[in-house]
Amino acid sequence: MKETRLGEFEEVLLLLTAILKEDAYAFRIAEEFEAQSGRSTSIGSVHSTLERLSEKGFLTSDMGAPTASRGGRRKRIYSITASGQKALQTSRDFRVSLWNQLPNLAVNKLQFLFS
Amino acid sequence: MPESQQHPPQLAKRLLSWVLREDLAEEVQGDLEEKFHLVATEKSIFRARLNYWYQAINYLRPFAIKKSRSVHSKYPIMFKYYIKLSWRNLLKQRTYSSIKIGGFALGIAAAILITLFIADELSYDQHYKDQDQIFRILNADEFPNKDLQKWSSFPAPIKRAIEDEFPELESVGRLINFDWFDAGSNQLRVVGEKSNIYEEGFVYADPELLGILEVPMVYGNHDALDQPETIVISRDKAEKYFPNENPIGKQIIINDENTYTIGGVMENPPSNTFLQFDFLLTLSEKEFWPGEQTFWGAWNYSAFVKLREGSDPKAFESKLDLIKEKYIVPFRREQGDIRVENMIKYHRFEVQPVANIHLYTQNTFDNLKHGDIKMVYLFGAIAIFTILLACINFINLSTAKLANRAREVGLQKVVGSSRIDIIRQYLTESFLYTTIAFVVGIFIVWLSIPYFNQLADKSLSIPWHIWWIYPAFLGFISVITFLSGLYPAFYLSGFRPIQVIRGAVSRGSKNSKLRGALVVFQFATSAVLIICTIVTYRQMDFILNKDLGFEKDQVLLIQGANTLGKESDAFKTELKRLPFVKNVTYTNYLPVEGLKRDGNSFWREGKRLEEEGIGAQKWRVDEDYLSTLGIKLLKGRNLSKDIASDSSAAIINEAMAQKMGFGDDALGQRITNGFEPTFHVIGVIEDFHFEDFKMSIKPLVLTRSNIGSVMAVKLNSDQLRANIEKISAIWETFMPDQSIRFTFMDDSYARSYAQVDRTSKVFTLFAILALIVACLGLFALSGFMVEQRGKEISVRKVLGASLTQIFTMLTGSFLKLVLIAMIIGAPVGWHLMDNWLHDYVYRIEITWDIFLITAAIAVSIALMTISFESMKAGLMNPVKKLRSE
Repeated sequence: MKETRLGEFEEVLLLLTAILKEDAYAFRIAEEFEAQSGRSTSIGSVHSTLERLSEKGFLTSDMGAPTASRGGRRKRIYSITASGQKALQTSRDFRVSLWNQLPNLAVNKLQFLFS
Repeated sequence: MPESQQHPPQLAKRLLSWVLREDLAEEVQGDLEEKFHLVATEKSIFRARLNYWYQAINYLRPFAIKKSRSVHSKYPIMFKYYIKLSWRNLLKQRTYSSIKIGGFALGIAAAILITLFIADELSYDQHYKDQDQIFRILNADEFPNKDLQKWSSFPAPIKRAIEDEFPELESVGRLINFDWFDAGSNQLRVVGEKSNIYEEGFVYADPELLGILEVPMVYGNHDALDQPETIVISRDKAEKYFPNENPIGKQIIINDENTYTIGGVMENPPSNTFLQFDFLLTLSEKEFWPGEQTFWGAWNYSAFVKLREGSDPKAFESKLDLIKEKYIVPFRREQGDIRVENMIKYHRFEVQPVANIHLYTQNTFDNLKHGDIKMVYLFGAIAIFTILLACINFINLSTAKLANRAREVGLQKVVGSSRIDIIRQYLTESFLYTTIAFVVGIFIVWLSIPYFNQLADKSLSIPWHIWWIYPAFLGFISVITFLSGLYPAFYLSGFRPIQVIRGAVSRGSKNSKLRGALVVFQFATSAVLIICTIVTYRQMDFILNKDLGFEKDQVLLIQGANTLGKESDAFKTELKRLPFVKNVTYTNYLPVEGLKRDGNSFWREGKRLEEEGIGAQKWRVDEDYLSTLGIKLLKGRNLSKDIASDSSAAIINEAMAQKMGFGDDALGQRITNGFEPTFHVIGVIEDFHFEDFKMSIKPLVLTRSNIGSVMAVKLNSDQLRANIEKISAIWETFMPDQSIRFTFMDDSYARSYAQVDRTSKVFTLFAILALIVACLGLFALSGFMVEQRGKEISVRKVLGASLTQIFTMLTGSFLKLVLIAMIIGAPVGWHLMDNWLHDYVYRIEITWDIFLITAAIAVSIALMTISFESMKAGLMNPVKKLRSE
């Protein structure tokens, strides 16, 4: 049995991969992560996390088309799998259920999310 | 912007392609290049390159690195496992492990000690800035059919002559380093003080010598000896007499008569230089007697030269003959000295690099304490042998254990170990053992170095402060690891798994032969060392107990009696009055080392220009000399102070009578040394040993005088302490300002042979070491043999073999090896020691009983070693070994 729990960084990358769709390769994901979170990272650490997620079966990958800015090299495009989507959902549901147990605090917002 | 600048840094790229998994290379390099261009356009090329490096280094993660390279990651684990296995093995057989390590540690400790000793010997006089320009001049005589003889002294005008003839020299300086006028030892006091203090280590030196030998100065500089009557003292002595002040210009008085002004203070000479002196008296404008400085007939000065940079010492050496031709030969011709022809034919000058003075000075008379390059080689050989012995032990024990380890190796192979893995494991094991042994060895060195220093008369220490000692130690450990581990590793790793697991371990006869050969080697080495020990001991014993022709026991030597001056007679008379004093003599000359010598040439009267002179010592003694020292008068009479003509009387020894060709009628013969009035012989004494046992007894002439520096007192009772107190009390009344200083003649005599004593002790030490190592090996080996032959022994017992039979069977095979070792070791030891004794004219003979004793020692020690295990085997209950079958 592979570990199926998601870490915070893993979860974010999984989401970003899903968002970026055709453009989801290591460099783009790293750029997007830095842009959206404001935290800096390296392509290497993103890549290694993507690999780990692939091993867990949350991602698949295929080689994409080469471009000139890459010196004519191809890129590896990641896409989310069904179990990846399920893992994201489980993770979200778990948090929401926790939030819901928290009385009087931003309850409305969360319920809004539910609607 | 140049094209190349637009590309990512090449080095980082190469690094990446080198470590990166091949299937990842394309996408990763692509990603990084995209990032590079992005940063390059948004920020700067520099930032982009920096970022590329950052990204590349961030790819050094386990997931991205080449799998083929990741094989490396198993090594730490493997080594951990090797070490664990080795450690378990070590603990499993504590006795054998400790024997292995203990033997090893002893060997290593011995090797380290010897290495320190050798390094110290080799470091003598290597510290000069202008090392290759400093030379000593030597005389060399090579008469046909005689050994090469060298000596270091020259006539006083040599300095002026060399300066005149060889202006190309930088400088030349002379040295007088034997008891001569104020050189040697003296009573000393600072001007203004009253009491005298005894000091040793005075020499005369030319002012130039400070510069030539680069003597480091504390106060003053290299012109410190330029003024006449100046002296340079060492830092230690300066602190002793002038604490916390600059003593330049202060004055000291030597022997109550000569005043010297301090011109400078030099650093204490380092222990590894030939110049071991504390007081340098200047030779500037010094003339010991009128005309001495221009007289070519008295050879008392050593000469040192400093060549100019780049000049050839050999060329200088060949030009030196000019001095002989221009000065010495004409002088001798003029004197009518017939030695001149021999000198032209057989004498030559040599220049000796200053670094060679300590070790390469065989056959050279220079009054210095020397090392001996032969000793260095001998010690080096011993060091290598002890290490070899220890390694052999290791090899022997490792292969002997093969019965226990073979199955282990077999199983390892079955589950997939390759031969290389097993070799690696055994080398690791050997490394572990060596390292532990090394640490223990260093500890032993640390413990024993004070004793060793005492033994070898050195001040050695482990030079922890030198950085390269650490890599050197590591290198040493590695070499020993391979030396001791390679054979067992290859041997054990070569087993066929099926055979060993089936239990058919081939205890090949080839292997046991090899082990036998190694045991023989160990015991042969021990035998050689035992022989060396016995022979040196016997020679020492011979020297100490031989009838010397004089009595050295119960003779008290009161030193520094020269300061008594005119009162010496009164003091002597006082001493003679004491009931326990047999006799007293007052002299400068005694047959122990460190006292004055006076070499002369003697001719029969009137034959001086016709014959070759007879080299003889001329000692000036008083009328009590013979009776105090118990020297036998064979013919004629003793010197007497009541006969006026005895001031020119002489007593000669047998050797002198024989050399001069007097036959039986020596009495009344007249002899001359060329510069004193003729002596007439009034007595002949029996030969006594006044020189080294390495030389035959030389001719000796005793003449009368009543001056000296030593009062020799023959006592005739055993109550030494009380007697000495009484003598001291008398001294006090005469010399209240100078404390009494005395030695015993037998001690002084023994000290003359300290070198022999030292050699003998060193051999003892190493013989014991070698024996211990050899016995440790034998002990373990016999243990394993008993273990291996356990079943055989049990079966024999069941069938009725007695304890004696089993004991004989087990010990017999080993004793055979020990005996073979004796047969090999005996001639080697004999040859070595015969060579050593060759230096002695008076020597013991190497008799057969020495070999017998050696064999007895080796056999009995071997027997004791083996019998422990053999007895255990013989007494064992056979059921224990057989029931598992």
